[in-house]
Amino acid sequence: MALRAQLLVRRGDHVVDIGLDVDDGETVALLGRNGAGKTTVLEALAGLVPLDEGHIELDDRPIHTLPPERRAVGLAFQDAMLFPRMSVLENVAFAARARGVRARDARGHATRMLSTLAPMVRGDADPRTLSGGERQRVSLARALAANPRLLLLDEPLAAVDASARPSLRALLHDTLAAFPGPSILVTHDPVEAMTIADRLVLLEDGRITQSGTPAEVRNHPATRYAADLVGVNLFEGTLEPGDTDVGILRTAEGELTIAWPDGLARVHTTGVRATLSPAEIAVHTARPEGSARNVFRGIVQEAAIGGSRARVRIASRPPLVAEVTTGSIERMRIAPGANVWASFKAVEVRLMVPGIESDTL
Amino acid sequence: MRRRLPLSIQILAAIGAVVVIVPVLALAMRAPWGRFGTIITSESARAALRVSLEVSLAATVLSVAFGVPLAWVLARAEFRGRSLLRAIVVLPIVLPPVVAGVGLLTALGRRGLIGTWLDRIFGIQLTFTTAGAVVAATFVSMPLVILAAEAGFRGLDERYEQAAAVLGAGPGYTLRRVVLPMTAPQLAAGAVLAWARALGEFGATITFAGNLQGRTQTLPLAVFQHLQTDPSGAIALSLLLVVVSIAVLVAMRDRWITGAQ
Repeated sequence: MALRAQLLVRRGDHVVDIGLDVDDGETVALLGRNGAGKTTVLEALAGLVPLDEGHIELDDRPIHTLPPERRAVGLAFQDAMLFPRMSVLENVAFAARARGVRARDARGHATRMLSTLAPMVRGDADPRTLSGGERQRVSLARALAANPRLLLLDEPLAAVDASARPSLRALLHDTLAAFPGPSILVTHDPVEAMTIADRLVLLEDGRITQSGTPAEVRNHPATRYAADLVGVNLFEGTLEPGDTDVGILRTAEGELTIAWPDGLARVHTTGVRATLSPAEIAVHTARPEGSARNVFRGIVQEAAIGGSRARVRIASRPPLVAEVTTGSIERMRIAPGANVWASFKAVEVRLMVPGIESDTL
Repeated sequence: MRRRLPLSIQILAAIGAVVVIVPVLALAMRAPWGRFGTIITSESARAALRVSLEVSLAATVLSVAFGVPLAWVLARAEFRGRSLLRAIVVLPIVLPPVVAGVGLLTALGRRGLIGTWLDRIFGIQLTFTTAGAVVAATFVSMPLVILAAEAGFRGLDERYEQAAAVLGAGPGYTLRRVVLPMTAPQLAAGAVLAWARALGEFGATITFAGNLQGRTQTLPLAVFQHLQTDPSGAIALSLLLVVVSIAVLVAMRDRWITGAQ
C-alpha cells in the first residue's frame, strides 16, 4: 500500500476515527453527508489539522510529523482557493517557484500543465474572472504541477455549474486514472463517486461504515445511508454500435440501449460505465406502449416506501432500481413477487467512456 | 424619493460640521498672509519641517518593520496571554502622549531602566536627540499599523495560506508571496495613518526628546514655541501642517475615507 493512514482527529464534538489504505493508481471516493468528517480526513492527510492519535505513512515513510509543505501531498480545495493577486499561470507555477525553480522553467512547466488541463483558460487571466469549472481545472493543474505523491480532491464539482460538470467530470476521471500515486476524492454525489472512483469509502459520523467497489456497495449496501446514496443504477460493460444513433451496452447482467455519445467513434469500446437515475425508470403492470427503447420484465424483489416516494427493486436483466410515487405503488399493487415491466429512454442513461471528454452525463 | 431627515438631526449634524470646520477656517482667515512666505521659509520653520519629515518617515518605517510582524503573531499564533499582549501594544492609542513621554523617559532616559545601560555600554543617549524623537513617534504610531495589519490578516481566509503550504511553500515564502500582497491595502492604510499620527506627535516628543531646534523640534513643537512669542507665526506654521494633513487625506481617500477597499 502506498498510503496507510490511521487517523483520530477531535474537532469540538466531532471525532473522526478511520483507517484508510490506498494503493498506487487507485482512486478512492470518500462519500458522506455534510459534517461526516470528509474534509477533516483530507486536512489531516495534508497536515492542515494535527492528528490527536494515529499515523500516516506514504511509501512506508511516516509523514504525519512533517509540516504540510514537506509531505508531497496535493490538495485541490472545494473553492479552488486560487491566489487572487496572481495570474492563472503564476498560480500554477507557484509550487515550482516556492521550491526555488527558475521563473522561466516554472512558467514553461505551468504552461504545459494548463494546456492539458485547462486549455480554454489564458495564462495571464485574473483567477477571479474564471468560471467555477475553469477555477477547478486551474486548481487541479496547480496541485498536479507540484508533482505530488498523494492527490486529494475536495468536492471538485460542488461549486461548478451543471452545464460545466460533464466535461470536468470526464477530465477528473481521466486525470485520476492517469495519476500514478494514490488519490482520494471527497464527494457527496454518488454519480460522481461511482463514475470516477475504483473504490467507495462511506463515512458516517466520522467512521467508515462501508468500503468496496461501486458494484459491491450498490449490491450490498451496509447501511440505510449507503442504500440511499448508491441507489443509482450502475452498469459496466462493453459498448457496441447499434442503429444510426444508438448503441448497446452489454453487461454481465444484461443489455441496454443507450444514445450514442457525440464525438465517440462508432467502434467497440470496453470498460464503459453508465448510470441511470431510479427516477427515470417507469414501472408498469403491462407491457408499455411508447417510444422508450429499454423495456424489461422482472419480478419485484423489494418495494421500500419512504414518504411520498418508493424504491422498487426489480430482478430484471439487467437488475434495476426504480423510484416511483407511493400512490402508484398502491394503485398498481406493486409488492414483492409481482410481475412488472420497467422502461426508460436511451438518452437517460449517462455514460462514462474512458478517454473522451464529451460524455452524455 | 429620499425622506427628509428630522430637523433635530439636521441641527446636530450642522453643529458637528461647524465644530470641525470653524477652527480650520479661522486659521486661514487669521493667517498673516503678508508674512506667510517669510515665516514658512525662515530657518527655524525649514528646520522644523525637515525634522518633522525625517522623524515621521523614520517612525513610519520602524512602525511597519516591527508592527506588521507583531500583527501577524497576534493574528495567527496561538499562545497564552495573546489577548493581554494585544491590549498592551495598542495602549498608546488611548494613552495621553505626555504619559507616553514620561514612560519613555523612565525606560530610555539617561537614568532610565534601559537608558542607563545604553549610555554606559554603548554610549547611546536618546533624550534630546533626533533618534529620541523617532522613538517617541514610533511609540505612538506603531499601534495604528498593528491594528490595521491585524485586521487585514484576520480578514484573510486562512485556506490561502494552507493552499500555499500544501504546494510546498514555507511560512516565509507564503507571507511574502501570498499574505502581504493580499493584505497590501490594509498595510498601506496602516502605514499612512501611522505617518499622519507621527507627523502630529507633540506630547511624547517634547517630554522625552525635548524641543531643540534642528534636532527634535518638529513642526507641532515649533507651532507651540511660536505661540508664546509670535502668535501669527504659529498660525502660519499651523496652516502648513493643515496642508500636509489634507494631502494625507487626499492620498487615502480611495481606500479609507470612502470606506471602499
